[in-house]
Amino acid sequence: MRIALLGLCPAVVLSSMFLGAGVSAQPATGAQVPEGVTDSQIVVGMSAPFKGASRSLGIELYRGSMAYLSEVNRAGGVHGRTIALKAYDDGYQPDQAIRNTLKLMLEDRVFLLFDYVGTPTVTRVLPLLKKYDKLHFRLFFPFTGAQPQREPPYDRLAVNLRASYRQETAGLVDNFLAIGRTRIAVFYQADAYGRSGWVGVREALAQHNLKIAGEATYTRGTKYTESLDRQVAMLQEARPDAIVSVGAYAACAAFIRDARKAGLAVPIANVSFVGSESMLELLVAASKADGRNYTGNLVNSQVVPSYENPNVPVVKEYLALMDTYHPSTPPGLADADYKPLRHSFVSLEGFLNAKLLVEVLKRMGPHPVRTQIEPTVAGIDGFELGMGRPITFAGQRNQGSDAIYYTTVEDGRFVPIRDWKAWSK
Amino acid sequence: MRVAKLFRKTMFGIFLLFGLIALSTSALCVYTVDKQLSQEYEANSRAIAQTIANSSMDIILNRDMSTLQSLIDQFKEIQGIKYLYIVDENGDILAHTFVPGIPKEILAGDRVKLATVDRRIPGFGEFVEVSSPILDGIAGSVHVGMDKGLIALKIQTAIGRQVYLISIIFIVSIVGSFLLVNLAAKPLGRLGGYAMQLAAPAAPATISPAEVQALLERSDEVGQLARLIRHLSAHDASTGTTV
Repeated sequence: MRIALLGLCPAVVLSSMFLGAGVSAQPATGAQVPEGVTDSQIVVGMSAPFKGASRSLGIELYRGSMAYLSEVNRAGGVHGRTIALKAYDDGYQPDQAIRNTLKLMLEDRVFLLFDYVGTPTVTRVLPLLKKYDKLHFRLFFPFTGAQPQREPPYDRLAVNLRASYRQETAGLVDNFLAIGRTRIAVFYQADAYGRSGWVGVREALAQHNLKIAGEATYTRGTKYTESLDRQVAMLQEARPDAIVSVGAYAACAAFIRDARKAGLAVPIANVSFVGSESMLELLVAASKADGRNYTGNLVNSQVVPSYENPNVPVVKEYLALMDTYHPSTPPGLADADYKPLRHSFVSLEGFLNAKLLVEVLKRMGPHPVRTQIEPTVAGIDGFELGMGRPITFAGQRNQGSDAIYYTTVEDGRFVPIRDWKAWSK
Repeated sequence: MRVAKLFRKTMFGIFLLFGLIALSTSALCVYTVDKQLSQEYEANSRAIAQTIANSSMDIILNRDMSTLQSLIDQFKEIQGIKYLYIVDENGDILAHTFVPGIPKEILAGDRVKLATVDRRIPGFGEFVEVSSPILDGIAGSVHVGMDKGLIALKIQTAIGRQVYLISIIFIVSIVGSFLLVNLAAKPLGRLGGYAMQLAAPAAPATISPAEVQALLERSDEVGQLARLIRHLSAHDASTGTTV
């Protein structure tokens, strides 16, 4: 395969803007200093969708991370170095993600990879990290709950913060079964991400000697304006008690809209990757336009606490820093018509990712090298990130958090589910 | 323009000949392209199924279905491959590329049996499905659906090009034969007019004196005939008989 490294549009977001530091990532003098680290800066690389049907995921994750990094850089950085986030758009396409990663590793020579978005992209990037294992690149906190980066042979190459899709879907299935909804159908993206969620549902049902009642798929990149009537018809035939949806916000919102129009009123549960607020925004607008309510009977699992709850310390910090810095969209990468969300689960996850990244860099000391990454991460045991649940990587764990939160829509916003019995069959 | 009878007959002959050529070459083309493409696609599909089967053993045993999905998604990009699916030893589908869902024809079929089958899926198309066992079948099998519609399209394209070429040759032949036949038909027409003029001098002349002169001066068979007719006419006039 010919790898085209030209024509990429980089956005070097230099949090050092607050300090007036240079933008160059030239290696500092001294043999101990690896690429990606200068006397004044540590550069980390990101590949995510900033354009297209899933752009909100990449943009909001980036913005959340930048809110925290901006504050850290304003306060002097980590051991005197600011942290720069170099981002490329991959449009949620695996081949572009590979090209971006090659560029980040071999041309930009970033210190590590960070905030990647999506299962189909990350699963294709992992073999690349394996190929360049000698360079000791590690992927930090990918925005996906898929298994490949959690299991051999790639578990060593990625560090996960969020809970897995298996955990999310198992939780959803268990909760639906507990309220008598035993016929669970799955609507999913026809790729590695969708398959990951599908497996989670399948295995959770198998624990109860049940099978998936019905399934329908959609093509990655499906727009909200497209009709998903065929998928709705397929699932209607299966007569489900509940549907677990494993997709991105545009397609999932279109599916909910068409399902409700067709009279399919069962609870529809989405996993954390969906981009909850972007999905809700579309459904609220459609509800107004059509004079119907498309936001009822929705369940969304989240891997971060609700940003509506400032009693959680990290949420309070997130709200304050988002409002202080109003992080911009990645310069030169996002469409001009994109309207950033003030707060969202995705940007909160980006914020948490950045906070944990900074903690790792702090622990690596004043002379960070890539070979130190693994033992440093393994030393994190019971670290309080502010979620109210300690983060642990010790004991050969490569996932920091197992926390899952369930939310539903009330008055046009996501609120925690306190009682699942409201959806009893 | 009046078309000479001689030309009409020639054109009819050419038309018949070209029709025969077009039909026979098209039939041969359909047969050859269909056979060769089918064999080629089937061999490729079988190789792909075999490749996936060989490389998916560890993935399946590790229950890593998202990597398995990534693997088959890459193969779906190959032209002619319309769908892929992988089943476990019980025939349960572990990963597939169908959108908006698995067709009923596949759900209802025997997914454990390993054979090359022709499938017709309403709204989806016609396919040749080949399969390959994973770990000799004890870990399942890989199924690859080859689009027969693509072969039909390639045949149509090949025939279309052939017909296009034959049509051009046909038109050139018609124009060429018209010119050639005209070369022969025009002097013959003048010869007839000249003969009529000699036979009935009182009738209005259809050929000018200059044309008669040119006719008589020709060195070919038409000129010989003209001179012979003139000679016979003169002889008849002297003997009192008529031609």
